Amino acid sequence: MIQNTKCECGHQNPLGTVLCESCGKPLVEDLPLDTPLEMRYDGAARRSQKANPALIDRVWNFFSSVKIAVYLIIITLIGAAIGTIYPQESTFINLDDAGSYYKDTYGTWGTIYHALGLSRTYQSWWFIGLLVMIGTSLVVCSLDRVLPLYKALAKQQVRKHLTFITRQQTVYSAPLVEEPDRWIEQFSKQLKRKRYKVWTDGSALLAEKNRFSRWGPYINHIGLIIFLLAVLGRSVPAWHMDKYIGIDEHQTVQIPNTNYYVKNEKFTVEYYKDEELPDKLKGTNRAKLYQTQAKLYACTKYCNDDPIHEPELKEVESHPIEVNSPLSYKGLSLYQYNYEERIRLIEVKPMLEDAKTGKSYGPFDLPMSDPPPAVEAGPYKLTLSAVFPDFGLDAEGRPMTKTRDPNNPAFVFVITGPDLPDKGEMYIYFPMPSGDDKAVQQQINDSFRKLGSNSGRFSFQVGKMENVSFSQYTTYLNVRVDRAMPYVWVGATISMIGLVMGFYWQHRRIWLRIDDGQLTLGAHTNKNTYGIRNEVASALGKCGVAVDPKALDNRRSSS
Amino acid sequence: MKRYRKPIQYLILAAVLLIGGYAIGQSFFTSKTVLSSGNAAPEFELLGLDGQVHDLASYKGKPLVLNFWGSFCPPCRDEMPALQAQYDKWKDQGLQLVGINLSEDRVSVGSFIRSYGVKFPILLDKNKKTERKYGLKEYPTTFFITADGKIQDIVIGGPMSEETISARIERLFASGQ
Repeated sequence: MIQNTKCECGHQNPLGTVLCESCGKPLVEDLPLDTPLEMRYDGAARRSQKANPALIDRVWNFFSSVKIAVYLIIITLIGAAIGTIYPQESTFINLDDAGSYYKDTYGTWGTIYHALGLSRTYQSWWFIGLLVMIGTSLVVCSLDRVLPLYKALAKQQVRKHLTFITRQQTVYSAPLVEEPDRWIEQFSKQLKRKRYKVWTDGSALLAEKNRFSRWGPYINHIGLIIFLLAVLGRSVPAWHMDKYIGIDEHQTVQIPNTNYYVKNEKFTVEYYKDEELPDKLKGTNRAKLYQTQAKLYACTKYCNDDPIHEPELKEVESHPIEVNSPLSYKGLSLYQYNYEERIRLIEVKPMLEDAKTGKSYGPFDLPMSDPPPAVEAGPYKLTLSAVFPDFGLDAEGRPMTKTRDPNNPAFVFVITGPDLPDKGEMYIYFPMPSGDDKAVQQQINDSFRKLGSNSGRFSFQVGKMENVSFSQYTTYLNVRVDRAMPYVWVGATISMIGLVMGFYWQHRRIWLRIDDGQLTLGAHTNKNTYGIRNEVASALGKCGVAVDPKALDNRRSSS
Repeated sequence: MKRYRKPIQYLILAAVLLIGGYAIGQSFFTSKTVLSSGNAAPEFELLGLDGQVHDLASYKGKPLVLNFWGSFCPPCRDEMPALQAQYDKWKDQGLQLVGINLSEDRVSVGSFIRSYGVKFPILLDKNKKTERKYGLKEYPTTFFITADGKIQDIVIGGPMSEETISARIERLFASGQ
């Protein structure tokens, strides 16, 4: 159907216009009779309403529809809700085999949940796709409506069509005995006192206030778009990181995928004493303080896993990390997350003792990780022939290491030097001071002696504790980078400003014309019709037209 | 104003395609750390027991078997003789067989190699970096890589029998012709 968009006032309106852009006369024939007019966007056509849409217009129109936007939001909410049925994969620190975890923990439903990819809902293509579509819809919907609305409000006609005025929500019509020009001047003075802006055109008047509140929803949308872009920005690897690292005391660990290294200088845990606890908690371990003395280093040379050189590090920050007191450096934050008590030797400095002469040599340095192939103690050379970081015996009774962590290290040395056979003497050494280890050490050294590998004259003694450095606690830190956060806040703030503008102020307009002694008044507001009726009644009353505010309500008479 | 309407529409839709495409594209790639046959073998650059640095590129052109092992892992120890035997059998035809040690110290690796009589080249991973790149979940894991650097077979767990290894090496040579 081809619609005639030319109004009787002579104004040519774009297709889809509901109320003439100039005089306000309803253009659509099938509007319900006698009900107040639909004033959305002041009756202006949405920008994308076109006679012959091309493909790009169809895409545009799809996103321009508020109905579609509502569906998109509902689908997104349902999707987000489904993502909360079982824990998301991203909430686990170490989840090597997600599939079997969901199967074992949640049974068949867990298997289905994981197979459908719902265990990664918020990273899934369809969820992000929905967010992108909502974002597009926000931009397109806003643009399509705000521009025509801005134009309509910027070039308002003072004299409106009578139908337009009498079909507002708030109307008044009565014969006027006074002289029109003087009465209008008086009335406009009253409205100005109520902070209206007033324009007059002969015997017609337009008064308006708080137009800015109409921009509230669009400012809210701008805020939401910034918010959404910031959330999508988190998928840029450099913008977002959430990782966990475990560090022994005195150990330096690289933060994965960064140029930074963290050292745990010392970890302290303090518990409340019994007298500090309430009765029912006495005798339990309640932590008072977890603290990691941390140093942050930046790598300056040999950073990219150089196979030969150790990375060169420069200290950039140090901070005692406690709960709620992270180490922060250039957007990188290290939070205290957990700890574990686990004693690990780092380095021992033993003496080589010769039982035959009573002399002892050394001490020599023996680090647990990557020990040197040979060390010197006095005149003797100790060549490391085997290392077992976590000593054990295999099925055939041969020595082996159970793991690669230095839980129970053992070292096999071949000692060469003065008055020893050329092939040297072989000894095993367990630096851990436990009784079991010492017994095993004795047993193995005795068996070496039976085989003729040693004479039993040498032994290793650490002596004082200062010759042992060890880690008592492993601290677990949460490494976070969230560069999108400032933009999230900016977006949320703008969105809030828009909401306040739209909610706490109302755009109010009053149209009035006097034709041959007949006064016709119509008023419109997007909310709080009580308020505008009171204002109109009060202004009319002060100009000698007494009227009850309730009597102005057009909707009451029509229903 | 009307003149700019079309370009603005195109601009906004193009921006949506760009940003949306990137965001959705990212969601496809983040979780993909598991290698499967057909993938290109990830790069590495590691120090060998021979004191030289070796990278993946230096092995291109000939079939390569990469065996990730540790002296702490019983099946790794058990399959060493089979690997050594297969290395002896195929090396003259151009097969490269390399063991990547799972971030143990040099002395442990050296003493293990000597006591098991392993003669094929050994590289030392550092801080578990290469094993992470290869997405290892179980030890040992062995990758059979074609001359042009594509993963053809992955054997997870062990010990592998000589037949298991040999059948896969034959396929490597077959695919090269």
